[in-house]
Order: sequence, then structure tokens, then C-alpha cells
Amino acid sequence: MTIYSLYIYDRHCACVYYQDWHRTKRPKLATEGGTLRAVSQAVSPLSSSGDSTSLSTSEFINPRNTLSSSTGIVVATSEGPQTATFTPTMASAQTPNSSGLPFDEEAKLVYGVVLSLKNMIKKLSGRDEQFVNYRTSTYKLHLYETLSGYKFVLLSDPKVDSMRVVLRQVYLGPFLEYVVRNPLVKLDSRDYGVDNEYFRTSVDRLVRGLSVFL
Amino acid sequence: MAIFGLGQIINKAGGLVYQRNFAEGLAQLTSNEYLVLAGTLHGIHAITSRLSPVGSSSGAQVIEGETFKMTILLTITGTKFVLLTSLSETTVEAMLQKVYDIYGDAVMKNPFHTPEMPIRSERFDARITALIGTGS
Repeated sequence: MTIYSLYIYDRHCACVYYQDWHRTKRPKLATEGGTLRAVSQAVSPLSSSGDSTSLSTSEFINPRNTLSSSTGIVVATSEGPQTATFTPTMASAQTPNSSGLPFDEEAKLVYGVVLSLKNMIKKLSGRDEQFVNYRTSTYKLHLYETLSGYKFVLLSDPKVDSMRVVLRQVYLGPFLEYVVRNPLVKLDSRDYGVDNEYFRTSVDRLVRGLSVFL
Repeated sequence: MAIFGLGQIINKAGGLVYQRNFAEGLAQLTSNEYLVLAGTLHGIHAITSRLSPVGSSSGAQVIEGETFKMTILLTITGTKFVLLTSLSETTVEAMLQKVYDIYGDAVMKNPFHTPEMPIRSERFDARITALIGTGS
């Protein structure tokens, strides 16, 4: 019984936040320009100079990339709080079990599936019915959509019950507190995600505190 | 026993070969809309198997809304059996297996039936009615 990952999409259909806990198949890094900046440090493409040195946990894929030394290489994976260790060597450390899909493509696929299922369920029911979740043999995907158009998507173990309540808690707690009420976070922009340290740690704390988390 | 409308059988190319409404629970759609729905479901089923965070996965097996759920049985030959039921139904998987059995008997063994084509068999209809009843 465990939680795998969380995606948050805004009303412009873009992924603005991503976090994962127990994925065994990590996504490959996004291609340059594939995702918005500040979605998740673990899956951002290696940023060109200009981003602050606090984005220190990008995983490194391109050995030919001779960027400034502000970007380090993560030795540990991005599970848990961001306690990345700096190693200034430029080893080409592709994660050994990356899945075939780059992150930005995967995020778009998730969004596409969610949107199609929502429309299908609405059509079938004839009334204003919400799609709640779907289950496969290895995972379960839960959706919570806010009135403002933000979609919270959670992937978990197939045996958990509906996590819609949890997603609602993520929205009401960490999201409202550290994203909506945060004047430094550009909501509704088309360039930036909503990743920030407070939000990430509070979501992490909330998820790890759940009884279904391992 | 509240099985809502909609049993569907989708062939391995994504085309609808059988469609049946059982009860009045859900909206009435045109036959074209049912075709589009079957195609969409086929595509979604394929994508869901790729999104798994832990390696290879089957496609979606149960899709839940607020008042109903859709259960999908994918056979080894690529045919999908879809059934919409209320949330409280527990025996849907077994029911779908029986539908598959009836399909094997009444449709596949029928020498006049072309595989992957729409099913026009009174025997099949009758046996499905006997199995599922009129719903609710």
C-alpha cells in the first residue's frame, strides 16, 4: 500500500508540479523547453545559466553539457526531503531504471488520459458527473479537480480506496497556504510551475503521514 | 443487482462489435456516439498501460465515476468486454467472464460469424438477457 507520484495541472493544461515517492521506473528527464520551469527539480532539463544556484538537485544526463558549476549532480534520488549531495564531477549518471518516456511526454499523457476520461464519463452519465479514479493491475490514478481548473492527480498502489479526500487535503492545506497565498509564486503563468520548498516539504509530510503510505 | 445500461464488446482494432443497454440508469446516446466512445476507450486503455510508475501494467480495469463504474475485461485475443454498473456491484468481474464464455459459445463457434465484425446473433442476445436480465 503506497503512493507513487503526484502531478498538478493548471487550467492551461500544463503540468505545474510533480513529486514522486516510490516509483521504480523513473521518468527520463524532460527535453529542453518541454516542461515549465520550477515544476520539479528532479525532472527538469539541465537548465541553462540564469537559473539560481538553489536549483541544485537536477539530475544530469548530458555529459557534453559544460554549464557553470552552479549545477551539481545528485547522487541520491529525489525521494524524501531535498537533501541532495553536491558532487561537482560531471559524470554522466543516467538513472539505471528510467522508463522509456521523458517526463514531459509522460505528464502530457497523464493529462490527456485524465481529460479524455472526464469527458467520457460526463457524456455517459448525461449529468454533471465527475471522473474519480481508475485502476489497473499495478496502479490506481485518482483525480481531484478544483473549481479554478487545477487538477490534482495521484498515482497509488491499486489496493487503496479513493484518495480523493487526500487530494482535497493537499489542495486545502499545502496548496492554498504555500502556493496560492504565496506572493512569490506566479500562478496562472505560462512559463513557471509552482515548485517551492515549503510546498514540497509540506506535501511530503502530508503524504508520508498517511496510513496508506507503506 | 443494479447493472446500468451499456455492455459493450470492442474488437482488437478498437471498433465496436456489440452494444447493449440494460437499464435506464444512464443517458441515451446515439449509435454514433457509442462508436466514438468505444474507440476512445480503446485508446485510453492502451495509454493507461504505459503510465505505470512501476513497470509494465495492464490497461485500466475499473474506471470509477461518482455514481457508476466501468469494468473492462481484456482477453488474450485483444477483445475488450465493458460493463457499466453501479458502484456497489461486486461481482462484475465474474459476470464479464461469463459474458466471455457466452461469446465463445454463441459467437465464435458460429460458422456464419466473421471475427471482429459486428455481432448479429439472436442466440447471443438471448443468452446475455438470461444472464444479466433487464438490469436492476
